[in-house]
Amino acid sequence: MFSFDTLSLVFIFLILLGAIPNIFYSSGYLSHVERKTHYQIHYFAFIFSMIGVVVSANALVFLFFWELMSLTSWQLILTNAEDKETIKAGRFYFFMTHFGFIFLLMFFIIVSNGNLELGFDAMKSIASGFEYPTMLFLFLSLGLLSKAGVVPLHVWLPYAHPSAPSPVSALMSGVMLKVAIYGMFRFLLDVLYPWPLEWGMLILTLGSISSLVGVLYALSEHDIKALLANHSIENIGIILIGFGMGMIFDTLGLETLSSFSFIAALFHSFNHMSFKSLLFMGAGSVLHQTGTKNIEKYGGLIKSMPVTALTFLLASISISALPPTNGFLSEWMIFQSMLGSSHIGDISLKMTIPFAVFSLAMTGGLAIACFVKAYGITFLGLHRSSNAKHAHEVNFLMKTGMIMMAVVIISLMLFTPFYIGLFDKVMVEFSRASVYHEIFPTVWSMHSVGTSGGVVSPLILLIALMVITALLMFAYRLSDKKIRFHNTWSCGYKTSGKTQYTATGFAGPIRRFFSWLYRPEEHLEKQTMAGQESKFDASSYEVHVTPLFEKSLYNSVAKLANVISYWVYRFAHFEKTRYSAMIFNLLLMVLFSYRLFVNGFSWGTFVLELVVMAMSIKILIIGDKK
Amino acid sequence: MIWYFLTLIILVLIAPLLLSFIKMFKMVLLFKKPISIFQGYRDFSKLMQKETIISHEASELTRYAPFLVLSPLLVVMLFLPPVIEGSFYVNFVDAFTITGLISLSTFFLMLLGLDSASSFGGMGSSREAFISALVEPAMVLTIFSVSMMADNLSVAQAGVNLAHHFPKEHMASFLFAGISFFILLLAENGRIPVDNPETHLELTMVHEAMILDITGVYLAIIETASSIKFVVFSSLFVSLFLPFGLEYSPVVALLIFIAKLFLVAILVALTEVNMAKLRLFKVPNLLGISIVFAFLSLITFYVLGA
Repeated sequence: MFSFDTLSLVFIFLILLGAIPNIFYSSGYLSHVERKTHYQIHYFAFIFSMIGVVVSANALVFLFFWELMSLTSWQLILTNAEDKETIKAGRFYFFMTHFGFIFLLMFFIIVSNGNLELGFDAMKSIASGFEYPTMLFLFLSLGLLSKAGVVPLHVWLPYAHPSAPSPVSALMSGVMLKVAIYGMFRFLLDVLYPWPLEWGMLILTLGSISSLVGVLYALSEHDIKALLANHSIENIGIILIGFGMGMIFDTLGLETLSSFSFIAALFHSFNHMSFKSLLFMGAGSVLHQTGTKNIEKYGGLIKSMPVTALTFLLASISISALPPTNGFLSEWMIFQSMLGSSHIGDISLKMTIPFAVFSLAMTGGLAIACFVKAYGITFLGLHRSSNAKHAHEVNFLMKTGMIMMAVVIISLMLFTPFYIGLFDKVMVEFSRASVYHEIFPTVWSMHSVGTSGGVVSPLILLIALMVITALLMFAYRLSDKKIRFHNTWSCGYKTSGKTQYTATGFAGPIRRFFSWLYRPEEHLEKQTMAGQESKFDASSYEVHVTPLFEKSLYNSVAKLANVISYWVYRFAHFEKTRYSAMIFNLLLMVLFSYRLFVNGFSWGTFVLELVVMAMSIKILIIGDKK
Repeated sequence: MIWYFLTLIILVLIAPLLLSFIKMFKMVLLFKKPISIFQGYRDFSKLMQKETIISHEASELTRYAPFLVLSPLLVVMLFLPPVIEGSFYVNFVDAFTITGLISLSTFFLMLLGLDSASSFGGMGSSREAFISALVEPAMVLTIFSVSMMADNLSVAQAGVNLAHHFPKEHMASFLFAGISFFILLLAENGRIPVDNPETHLELTMVHEAMILDITGVYLAIIETASSIKFVVFSSLFVSLFLPFGLEYSPVVALLIFIAKLFLVAILVALTEVNMAKLRLFKVPNLLGISIVFAFLSLITFYVLGA
């Protein structure tokens, strides 16, 4: 029923690393929550169910805990259910998570031959005997990736994460998304192995698109938690780039490179857990103090909330993949695995990889822009509203939670060899090549496994940076310069919170450059004086970006469903014969599809069935022309 | 080892000289009365004597950020390719670390711009964020392609490999990568088609806007950082794209290297004199050219056979 192999243990470790600081933070946050019992019960059940998912050894237990995880997190989103937005987000989340659940269920029913109590180890033989492995792969990907929030199944994230209380968003984004990644490792490396090349390419493409889409929508957000939620989409994309590269290398028989890429994906999962949890906690503290999620209302919080500001800075540097932080190390590994593509023989495949390199590099650059915006507008400058003016540092428990998470980040940075060693054991367990000794010949430097690959040494970098900065500062202190304080120069006007750059303005150039993607709705209102365009005493500018995927993909599906139901209604309304004819046709369709699955596909029978269906629809439902 | 440290010291010392030289050369070309080539040192010593003025609105970050802008660039200097045959070099650090360190420096510079609550700072940071986000992919792809040609991902090792065995058979991809890298050099250092280092008009400035509120020693540190960034980029350009003259005796090799740095400075000055500054929203076109050249370089390399 349960199994505690290395992969499960590694993910239990991830959940615990994410959950323990979070429990501290959550206890501090509790005063902010109205329905305390409801919250506590679901909160602990949520953590428990995530551990349940990663230790389960058969389909039934897995699905039980998976569903428990979905339901508890759904209830946690609805903690503050007075808000209309929250109810909408909860409904959206409920729909999306069950959309994924159905596909997972179908996957399990097929690979366990209908016996859901079958262990995972016995599934491999059934799966390899199944005629359409790509369908299994698609079911599994739809099920898991809708949970992980990969484009185009990502639309729920920017609604669900901001609505939940902050400790819960930290858990959902930091840990729950990784449980879906656990599913990828568990079922792809074992049950569905070996793969054709196309699967790896699909995962790589989805990863590249998600990383770009995530960071671009993050840049256009004003809501700090939605911004972070969009960054989760980006980071899951980066993890999938690593995973996809691993799959491609494995198909091509490059075993060490494949292990290296999978380890990079695992390492980035850990890193994303650490910094995203910390960022959500920091955002939660800011939200707790100012009472608003709107980033335009913050400013100058570094003076009143130093602990939050400092930990948020660490996490921002790490998520922007700047050296020598842990985020840089894992992104470096993913880059190196892509540079390993020079070992690929097939030239057309080889030439596609630079496009993924391009998207990952672009993501890195945009992430820096985004976190300069998030950090600079929130913590630096002057306060932009009275909410931010009266903010002060959060309580002891919340501070403890944030500091503990910062320690997790630093440990991932300093003890990289230990973590890579753990991930290497996972690879060995799935009978992959062990690459630990190639990555770390000594603990000082980290090597890529490709021939003449790159090297990075996190510790030496860190020490060099610290020593040089310390020397420079020491020299400055020695010189003992006089310091004078004066107002910021602003062309003779007074500096105030309103004269600063806003977050909207900060992202302006990027929003304008990518306006073909954003299609922003701009509202500009000016009260002009004496009919002159350039003189006005009051003006307001607002810009809203509706995600393209939501607009085109989801809303058009909803529209299509409306049209279909309208026609069904028109045909069937008040006519019992027609109504029963429709039921008959539906049954026919189910029977035919069942036959397709059981007996295999053949064009002859398919056309025959199509003709039968068409005739029965024409005669029974549409009838004669009047 | 001694040549390694000597090169480092010379690079740090020559940094302000190069920027003043560009300015002087431009003025000569424009028939203006040129400034002294040592103007950079004069500015530096004057700034060092001034008191530090810190804005009321700024936070503690302003006191630390200037050091954090400079130190990553100094760390990058340790990892540059050698300029003399047989001298010591750090043979393992790869291009991602170097681009990462440069981005780290830019990250703190952008935060510094936002810290003083002035709208100039925000404007500069916003523009810098926009430009550096688009520079990143071109940079990674270019260096990817060069390291493929040099058959090593480590930057210093790549420089040495190129000096020993110049890839004549991949001249096309080499040229494409060179053009791409030169555009990046202009963009990252805020030279004319992207940013005008001499203007103080709010419509045009990027780098100057971010540091408008910094004075005294802090300004000296930031100015040093930007001159060191220029030296880092130009010596990377020189070592990777003009890899000759290392095999002579140490002094001659060093002189050749310095001459090559001045050649880059002349190239930059000529570009600046002959081009107008681009509007901010035309800058992506220029960087797009750089990205396309980087792709072309990789693709020709692959097609002609690795």
